[in-house]
Amino acid sequence: MSDFLSFDTLSLHAGQTLDSEFGSRAQPIHQTTSYVFTDTDTASSLFNLERGGHVYNRISNPTVGVLEQRVAALEGGSASVCVSSGMSAVFCALTALVSQGDHVVASANMYGGNISLLKNTLPRFGITATFVDPTDIKQIESAIQENTKIIFGELIGNPGLSVMDIEAVSKICSKHHLPLMIDGTFNTPYLCRCFEYGANIIVHSLTKWMGGHGTSIGGVVVDGGNFDWGKDDKFPTLTEAYAPFTGINFWEEFGPSAFATRIRAEAMRDIGPSMSPMNAFLLLQGIETLSLRMDRHISNTRELLKYLSSHDQVSWVNHPDMPNHDSNALAKKYMPKGAGSIITFGVKGGREAGKAFIENVKLASHLANVGDAKTLIIHPATTTHSRIDADALVAAGITEDMIRISVGIENVADIQDDFNKGFRAAKKYS
Amino acid sequence: MYIELNQKEVFASTGGKPFDPKKPLVLFIHGSGLDHTFWGLHSRFFAFRGYSVLCIDMPGHTNSEGPSLESIEEMADWVNEVTTEIGAKDISVVGHSQGCLVSIELASRYPDEIKSVSLIASGYETPVNSFLLDSAKNEPKTALNKMISWGFGEAGHLYQGTIPGNSMLIGGYKVMGGNPDELYKDLLACNNYKAGKDAAGKIKASCQLILAGQDLMVPKKSSMALAEALPPSRELTIIKESGHMLPLESPNKCRDLLKTFIFSKNPTGK
Repeated sequence: MSDFLSFDTLSLHAGQTLDSEFGSRAQPIHQTTSYVFTDTDTASSLFNLERGGHVYNRISNPTVGVLEQRVAALEGGSASVCVSSGMSAVFCALTALVSQGDHVVASANMYGGNISLLKNTLPRFGITATFVDPTDIKQIESAIQENTKIIFGELIGNPGLSVMDIEAVSKICSKHHLPLMIDGTFNTPYLCRCFEYGANIIVHSLTKWMGGHGTSIGGVVVDGGNFDWGKDDKFPTLTEAYAPFTGINFWEEFGPSAFATRIRAEAMRDIGPSMSPMNAFLLLQGIETLSLRMDRHISNTRELLKYLSSHDQVSWVNHPDMPNHDSNALAKKYMPKGAGSIITFGVKGGREAGKAFIENVKLASHLANVGDAKTLIIHPATTTHSRIDADALVAAGITEDMIRISVGIENVADIQDDFNKGFRAAKKYS
Repeated sequence: MYIELNQKEVFASTGGKPFDPKKPLVLFIHGSGLDHTFWGLHSRFFAFRGYSVLCIDMPGHTNSEGPSLESIEEMADWVNEVTTEIGAKDISVVGHSQGCLVSIELASRYPDEIKSVSLIASGYETPVNSFLLDSAKNEPKTALNKMISWGFGEAGHLYQGTIPGNSMLIGGYKVMGGNPDELYKDLLACNNYKAGKDAAGKIKASCQLILAGQDLMVPKKSSMALAEALPPSRELTIIKESGHMLPLESPNKCRDLLKTFIFSKNPTGK
């Protein structure tokens, strides 16, 4: 008998307490703004963080709480906080630690929104970042400054698809007493549980594979509970008295969930990026089938890699599971089930051929999302990464001819038939 | 707060209010391999209702300097030294599991300042099975898995909980995993402790026993034997839906029971 429930079982059950009044099997949607206090003593206890429970939806909600506990369970984290989007998750996680004058070491090969936040928005508040090649451990270490508070990267870079050696980076982090934050959107905990390799914080856009159906925007910050915030005086937001909550010391009182508690007490209250209960419900529905969907995403991806690699109109194909990929060894180490379901490739004929391909596929949807159950397609240089400069495009591994596919779970033969239509239209440019 | 005792630093969290020797004290004592954070859902409540609170890290655990103590009797003496050092008076002691054994011994040895004793999820002896003891010594990860797996009831294993987003099971795992050497020494001390029945009978202070209906760590026969050994005035409550980690798994029921008992036996404002 196993000591703990398995990943698949937790995907269906974790966090949910059965409704004792009506016996609802599905998690009810608590569509309410606020919660009636049983008495004044209970009310004051809730406000003073003396007991768990809900006060107001901006801070927490029972349906959202189930999602939070489910994601914490799947990642092996001590606590999590759900927010309105993946970008909210990144913002809340970073600002729980960094203040004016602080510094972040960040991967240059990340989602354009992450890059923009660090390059354009946070510097306006006196927070700076150094962007590094996530595959270059020496470069990462040499970018650390006296005022660095965190190292941040994606396990699978978007859209360059390089794999970060998080175990090696976590050793650098330990040496310099810095937390490692990983955006795990592309891998999901089904493919890799990054805390097991030394990550301390994980953020997700739940909108993508976790939810998996393209219905709801949402994000989450997961606290690994595995970082000693009190080892030195580098993290005052967690180890010094926080005046708005009667001088609470998060590290002293909440230990392994100190970081998540700070986010709920500060960011959710003062900034308010709350997730709607309806979105939490839909995301929970998606997570119930995460294992099943990911297996199909991966098997379809492998079939399409074979198809694209042998196609005479394809100039190159990029996926970490390909033997010739620079990150193939790391992909096998961290994601033995498969390194995600994003493929990038170049169509012979450059930008015009790419445009013709995208405009003539029908099953694959041309849109700015990834991780849907349906196959999605986009040209990153003119869309998701269009607002970053040429140097940053190169650093992110993006070329003018790059097409990004988020492989769905349709019958793979139908996806190939659809792509054949695109290639026929692109042929005149090749 | 840090307290210097015999040239060593002792850590205790105080529930968000500074320790004040003029107030009655609620003293929380954790179980094997755990630390002060175990009491997070209880300490703050009392600290903001007129009590001083100390959730001590036993020697060698998390923030308190080692080495660990080897017997329950030594632990009780050490706790008494800590409370004497800081001038604590009118003490309500609350112990969980191993902390109960320490509390029983403390209350029987040093009755003068102990006003009430709350014992959660324990017997008067807690013999540890040889597999767990051997694992704790030789394969700490195995022992940790078993302690957490057996320690939590159904709600813990399903990641339910009253604090939105918190996983008490993984939180407990992280805390206990941070004290691997201490876990073995603690379990050995529990296993070797044989004086609990006599000590329980000698307690002069008011006693409260809170038991868990799904406790896999302490058999019901053993915890009911403690109920028999305590003075007849003891109060007994069984929370049927909770596992051994009761203060985490059923925090609201546990706090309500502690509140009613401690407010009555050791009131503030005397």
